[in-house]
Amino acid sequence: MVKISKSEKTAYKMILPYVLIIVLLVIFLLSSNIYLSFTNDSGNFTFSNYLNVLKDPVLPTIIKNTLIWTIFSVIGQLSLGLIVALLLNQIDKGEAFFRSIILILPWATLDIVAGVTWKWMFNDMYGVINDILLKLGLIKDYIPWLAQQKTALVAIIIANIWKGFSLSGLFFLAGLQAIPLQLYEAAEIDGANAIQKFNHVTIPQLKPILITTLMFTTIWTINYFPLIYTMTAGGPGYGTETFVTYIYKISFKFLDYNKAAALSNILFIVIFIIAIIYLRVLTKEEKS
Amino acid sequence: MKKKWLIVVSLLLLFSSFMFSKSLTIWIGGQVAELDETWDEIISKFETNTGVKVEVQLFGFDTYYDHLVTALQGGIGPDLAFADLGGWVPTFASHGWIEQLDDKLTSWEGTNQIWENLWPTVTYQGKIYGLPWYTDDRLLMYNKQMFKDAGLDPENPPKTWEEFLYVAMKLTNPSKRIYGYGVSGTKTEHTTLGYMMFLYSTGGQLLTNDYKKAAFNTEEGLRALKFYTDLALKYEVSPNPLSYNEDDYRNLMAQNRVAMSIGGPWSFPLIETANPNIDYSVSVHPYAVVPASVLGGWALIIPSSSKNKDIAWELASYLTSYETWMLWIEKEHGPMPTRKDVAKDSPYFQQNEKWQVVFDVFPHAVARPPIPEWPQVSEQIQIMVQNVLLGKSSPEEAIKIAESNVNKILGGNK
Repeated sequence: MVKISKSEKTAYKMILPYVLIIVLLVIFLLSSNIYLSFTNDSGNFTFSNYLNVLKDPVLPTIIKNTLIWTIFSVIGQLSLGLIVALLLNQIDKGEAFFRSIILILPWATLDIVAGVTWKWMFNDMYGVINDILLKLGLIKDYIPWLAQQKTALVAIIIANIWKGFSLSGLFFLAGLQAIPLQLYEAAEIDGANAIQKFNHVTIPQLKPILITTLMFTTIWTINYFPLIYTMTAGGPGYGTETFVTYIYKISFKFLDYNKAAALSNILFIVIFIIAIIYLRVLTKEEKS
Repeated sequence: MKKKWLIVVSLLLLFSSFMFSKSLTIWIGGQVAELDETWDEIISKFETNTGVKVEVQLFGFDTYYDHLVTALQGGIGPDLAFADLGGWVPTFASHGWIEQLDDKLTSWEGTNQIWENLWPTVTYQGKIYGLPWYTDDRLLMYNKQMFKDAGLDPENPPKTWEEFLYVAMKLTNPSKRIYGYGVSGTKTEHTTLGYMMFLYSTGGQLLTNDYKKAAFNTEEGLRALKFYTDLALKYEVSPNPLSYNEDDYRNLMAQNRVAMSIGGPWSFPLIETANPNIDYSVSVHPYAVVPASVLGGWALIIPSSSKNKDIAWELASYLTSYETWMLWIEKEHGPMPTRKDVAKDSPYFQQNEKWQVVFDVFPHAVARPPIPEWPQVSEQIQIMVQNVLLGKSSPEEAIKIAESNVNKILGGNK
């Protein structure tokens, strides 16, 4: 039995009411969603909502879009986050200044503000991005980014990488700063160069943080709504429609709450499985 | 101890403010929400006359529907609210969220002043659920200065599709990013309305008269779809329609970049604010066979969750009264009242040529099918247009798929 000191007991007592409320709220919301998904308009028990979801011709498209959106966003955010963290770790003076501009700013920008700004940057007649690419000689004509399905997907992923890499960056920076310098010194004595130091010291030390960040970023990216909605609203056609934008559309535009509940429960199970897989890998990693 | 008393007292004050004042909440959304000064004036008159305090909440169009639906679904809506005549009222009525108004209307003086073609838009299963407040129709809005610059007669806008195509191509100059006509192709209601304007002008129609089946997969419907998309794809007289709709084109017109687009009475104050020097006018939208238009507008609804339904009706009938509307037109010069007597009597309308066009076209205007499934049907039309614009389907394929999906939706399968 772990001994809990008196001050810890008081701490638990203080947060208990809030924890209780949140747990009860989550249980209530989850169960009413499950209830809603198994009910139809007249209130009778039915599987039809789930059947309608599985029969929906849009389903393969949203699965594909969500996969592409998540995989590339996560790879992009983690890579960019790691690079920025490595760079910031090298700076002695002015680290706080650079950290706030590079890392905090994208994170702090309101989603809607970011979405609308990126939408205008990708504009096909007046957009900054087209202008720069043309002047650099990389393209011959302006690209209608948000008016084509493939480029629209690319555009929102780019915007999302910018918006979310700060999370990985901050986690990695904290992780890097916690690596004891002796490990690097030992490696240098053994004759390791920069790349070898990175592969044999940095990466293994960062592994637990890497896995945790991977898990959080994956789950949050699957669920991320505002950027897609403001930039493309799931269009053109169904080109950027993901699970969450489609759930939003079914419930708010079509007022078919039962079907939306069914789809969101399916998504919940998928994310739950992903989380369990990550946690398994994490505990295995920590044990070794 | 003192802190506890402070909390108790402030909570009491908070609750008492709910209990003691008789107050009404009204939600105003859409483009008229921007005219907040006149709203203040009209509402404070009501407050003085009746002693009831009215809280006004204004919403921009993009977020209004979601806000309203969330509130109605949760049973915590306002006492009076605006609803778009594009199918919102039957949708809300089918969910049981709003009050029937038949009894109140039989004893109201203004009931037979309302344009007749408006009542179907607020009717559900034979009963009336909304009081149409303002209406509009869709016209061709055009930039006279751009016409003059291209050597075209600004007093003679195109009427037939042939004239229209010729004029649009003459006005288009892509190297200067100047376009003749703006085709709406975004995943929004504007695209459905755009298609309907072209469809009805060929003599076609969207659904059968009983709203039970799709009726647009015909020679006329295909002709309309082909012409609408060809304007952008083949004749290239429009900016990329997948990115822009009417509202964007109005702004582009104010900057003298788009010469023609669909607009209506709501556009007048908005384009004049965007560019006070704009030289523009309106006419009936170019048609294939017969002049056509789509009407829209907003109605007042009383949520069933309201605790002040009778006072809400008083406010609704006050806002729709002859006097209030005459004052409104005097101050704001718009939007189009649902009352025929005000349309006829108001001196402002009588000497304004744009408004005469609005009234002349109105008898040709059809309403969007007032059915609860309208949002899903509308989405199928948008997908149809977008699929052709994206090059994913030919017009023939797209229209067949849309017809089949619409029939599935109307048949009760979701």
